[in-house]
Amino acid sequence: MTPTRAIALNVLALYVLAALLAGAFAAQLLLGELPCPLCLLQRIMFALLAVGPILNIRFGPRPSHYALSLLAAVVGASVSTRQVLLHIMPGDAGYGTALFGYHYYTWALIGFIAAIVLLSLVLLFDRQFEKAPTAHPTPGVIAHVAVCFVIGLTAANVASTLLECGFKACADDPVVYELLKR
Amino acid sequence: MEFTALFLAIAITMLVAWYGSRSLAYSLFAVVLIACVATFLHHATDALKLSF
Repeated sequence: MTPTRAIALNVLALYVLAALLAGAFAAQLLLGELPCPLCLLQRIMFALLAVGPILNIRFGPRPSHYALSLLAAVVGASVSTRQVLLHIMPGDAGYGTALFGYHYYTWALIGFIAAIVLLSLVLLFDRQFEKAPTAHPTPGVIAHVAVCFVIGLTAANVASTLLECGFKACADDPVVYELLKR
Repeated sequence: MEFTALFLAIAITMLVAWYGSRSLAYSLFAVVLIACVATFLHHATDALKLSF
């Protein structure tokens, strides 16, 4: 895999992460389901996963950039495993709405495990890390848009979480936006 | 409140990764990751309300 192809894959990864964050937002706004603390932490880990691809696009592919994403994915998988185990008892209805039979935290666990596997597979291709004879190409418009999407969605989560939790600890089972309460 | 701060810190880390230096982005990433693990451990040590 050439560095150019590796960068294209990283741009694609950013669009997937932006879609995940947008999907979580859509569920929150359309279904009116406020994310619990562990749900928020899983969103945070998906956002943190995006730092590796951003560095790869900006500075060129490096193993250390992929390592950052791997670390974020491992912590994210631990968080979602914890939430799956919280609702594993027979008769427990789980937290929130199920999508295609699985709750969001189960999908998050599948997503983090998929990220770990895919990152490991991409790391197998050593040619992407070879120094190119020409300088690292400047990122194109599609890459810029992907980065703007991810940063914009993370910033939107800052506002949403502030509205939901206010200036105190978030409720375990939130039902109203604390700052919009009358 | 801690989640708002974490999202804000990640947004800043992304901006630094895109516009700033690599080493600063690494440092910010490390701080955010440690804060995330600390937040997770805080929630993971809550007593489970099981009824069996």
